[in-house]
Amino acid sequence: MLQVQNIEKYYGSKNNVTKALDRVCFDVEAGEFLAIMGASGSGKTTLLNCISTIDTISAGSILLDGVSVADLPEHELAKFRRERLGFVFQDFNLLDTLTIEENIGLALSLNHQDPGTVQNRVREVAGKLGITDILPKFPYQVSGGQKQRAACARAMAASQSLLLADEPTGALDSKASKNLLEIMTAMNRDMGSTILMVTHDAYSASYAKRVLFLKDGRVFNELLRGDRGRPVFYHEILDVLAALGGDVSDVL
Amino acid sequence: MTYSKLSLRNAQRQARDYLVYFVTVVMAAALLYSFNALAFSPEVNTLSKSISTLPMMIVLASIVVVCVFGWLVAYATKFMLLRRGRELGTYLLIGLENKQVARLFFLENLAVGGCALVLGTALGGLLYQALWAILLTLFGRPYSFSFGFSVPALGLTVLYFALIYLFALYRSRKYIRRAKIHDLIYVDQVNEGAVIQTGRNRRWIFSVSIVLGVIGTCLLMAGGAILGVIGAGCVIVFLFGFFLSFASGVPAFFDKRPARKYQGQNLLVFRTLTAKLSTMGILMAVISLVFTATLISEGSGMMFRGLFESRAAESGCFDLYLGSEDGTLLSEDYFDYIRANIPVEQAVRYSVYQTGDSQVLDYVEEKEEDYFRYYERDPVLRYSDYAALRAIAGYSPVELKPGQYLIHCWSYLEEHLAGYPEPLSVGGARLTLGGVHTEHLMQDYNASNGTQFTLVVPDDAAEGLTVHHYAYAAKTVRPVTEEQFYGLYWIHHRLEEQDLTRSYDTIRAKAMEESDAAAWTADIAFPLFYLALALTMTAATILTIQQLSETDRYRRQFQLLQKLGMDRREMAKALGRQFAIYYALPAVPPVLIGVPFIFHLTRSPELGVMVGMNSPGVILLISLGIFFLIYAIYILLAYTSLRRNVLPA
Repeated sequence: MLQVQNIEKYYGSKNNVTKALDRVCFDVEAGEFLAIMGASGSGKTTLLNCISTIDTISAGSILLDGVSVADLPEHELAKFRRERLGFVFQDFNLLDTLTIEENIGLALSLNHQDPGTVQNRVREVAGKLGITDILPKFPYQVSGGQKQRAACARAMAASQSLLLADEPTGALDSKASKNLLEIMTAMNRDMGSTILMVTHDAYSASYAKRVLFLKDGRVFNELLRGDRGRPVFYHEILDVLAALGGDVSDVL
Repeated sequence: MTYSKLSLRNAQRQARDYLVYFVTVVMAAALLYSFNALAFSPEVNTLSKSISTLPMMIVLASIVVVCVFGWLVAYATKFMLLRRGRELGTYLLIGLENKQVARLFFLENLAVGGCALVLGTALGGLLYQALWAILLTLFGRPYSFSFGFSVPALGLTVLYFALIYLFALYRSRKYIRRAKIHDLIYVDQVNEGAVIQTGRNRRWIFSVSIVLGVIGTCLLMAGGAILGVIGAGCVIVFLFGFFLSFASGVPAFFDKRPARKYQGQNLLVFRTLTAKLSTMGILMAVISLVFTATLISEGSGMMFRGLFESRAAESGCFDLYLGSEDGTLLSEDYFDYIRANIPVEQAVRYSVYQTGDSQVLDYVEEKEEDYFRYYERDPVLRYSDYAALRAIAGYSPVELKPGQYLIHCWSYLEEHLAGYPEPLSVGGARLTLGGVHTEHLMQDYNASNGTQFTLVVPDDAAEGLTVHHYAYAAKTVRPVTEEQFYGLYWIHHRLEEQDLTRSYDTIRAKAMEESDAAAWTADIAFPLFYLALALTMTAATILTIQQLSETDRYRRQFQLLQKLGMDRREMAKALGRQFAIYYALPAVPPVLIGVPFIFHLTRSPELGVMVGMNSPGVILLISLGIFFLIYAIYILLAYTSLRRNVLPA
């Protein structure tokens, strides 16, 4: 579904160039739940921004369902994001002026879905995520966990092919994090959503089916969960992090 | 660190945020000082005797402006308070007491307000020069710059400011002393609930407010102090009731119609407008009220200026005019005085005649229901006298062909009289209409050249006609002075005392008429324009503050929308719609109230005065034009700046 081929990303001016991504290369299959881990500054958010078309790449190519993201003209990019990508951010990114229901409905509204069906679709998704009772409330009236579930619902409602999550549990307590990760797992398992999650938290990453480790802008290692249980996978992730050397405290 | 140091540093650090606040206060100080300086200026008091009420009018207008500015500064202060809610909440969080934070805020505002007052007063000195130049232009006197500083004006400005600040800071102090840390820290995220909760109440208030709006507008048009005050009260209640019920009703409307809500950009547009429901409702009502007052002030100012100008143009069309009220001859005393004291370039002594019937008067009365006839029979001038009068007034000569007569009338009668079908039988001659002329010719009174119209016949046809009254018109070498005018007036006074049965003589001088018109304009129109200026600045400031407070929220909103895949064109469209609704709404009620009011007001003076550039339609158009021009410039600047600042690159 997603093919990231030798992408490079440079920042800075002529005399002071920083290489944020260095020949990063991987594929994501449809229905996969992939986590990308790395310490601060390893390039994971840059990678996510490039995939989500918010940022541009310096070299290489990103193909989503065979479409080269870098080749899309500006006006096509917005359409591409609207129709193909769903987002969940660390800081929730809900609009304060809209109720939870309207925040979820916004994505559908932007996708020009039939206005008459929006409310029903929102309620259907909210029911699945257990947030029906907070639909009429405004973001400042609900908890962080509920906000993040609303953000998931927004991404889910529009049925986009790829859900990009940037540190989705970063601002949540452990209980809310667990709840959210279970929801994301269910989205992946039951609805076939393809999820690409960037995190520095080993516990969050252990919910994924595959984990890619980034170090200094390069893919350092890859772990597949296979048939192993989540606790085992979690420890394996910790082992890899230890192997990254000296960075364990940064990523835990 | 002492609180005063912390306050000073805060004021310096937040200079950008404080800029609008600072400009608001500077502007208020400049406007108040300049008008106070004008009111206390000895030159203004010596400008004309009839202008002695001007200082009082300016002080009265200033009191209204102080109230408006008082509210404005309180609003700006509260805006700063809420904008810095998170920071002030943090002070409470680290252990400062509410009253200490209140004191901190008080000192900061005092520092900013003090600087603004000093700068505003200095700018006010310059503004005073501009206003002084305008006043002198009104009086046709030359302007020369003279730097002056008025201590009483400064004293009054400081007093007004003390009152304005006490009010604003009392309100903020009360707010801070009661505020909870949570409220302050999260103040920018909180949406406001509907002020009027139930649909039934909303509908009821909405309906009642509409009815009150109509009643209020009618009462304002009816005129009179008591009805005017009641009318203004009704309009105020209407605006608040209308906007609060309207603002509360919009979310309810969309909640019941989800399909409409999610259609196109409706969701974004309506939610942005209703995020701060009660603030928005009250703000819209206040802006609407300020706009209504601006429009009414502008229209009334234009009307009065036009009225005085128009009357002066008619009454002062000759440098000097004398007229008796009936067939009594003008006393030779007048002419002796003129010969001795007033150098004359050209003059004519003549008679105003009347025909044996009133066929033209009847015709005019039939065409213009409100026409008032000062004459019983049709007024007539001899062609030679008419030609002399035209020359004296500086008009081009007109020809009268044999067998014809002319009509000279006020311009509003031109159309009717040009179509007068009947031939005229005067002094045995049968005359047909040769043309209609409409320049100013002193036709406004009993003792003038006809009663808004006169017939001009060949000299021989006028022979044998009855004299209605005698008159004299002159072109003087220099404008008639006040002393010369009162010299003539005292002759009239003496003659009246000598013979109580003697009729009333009319004495008019162009210079005196123009000076009177200037005095009246300065007295009434000038304070109204001052009020309109202050109100326009107030409305623009409120809108700027409101827009500034929205910029960050808009920016965050569009950043997210970009990530969610909204393209820039659609964002610009949504922003444009939000903007259009936001700025159109408060302008609708003022237009609905202001247009009939101005139209009615401009039609209230005597018939035929408000014509040409002073006609009701033109005054209405100019008032609306000025209002919307200023508004459009503001909207354009605001939209361009907002678009640049909030839409992603």
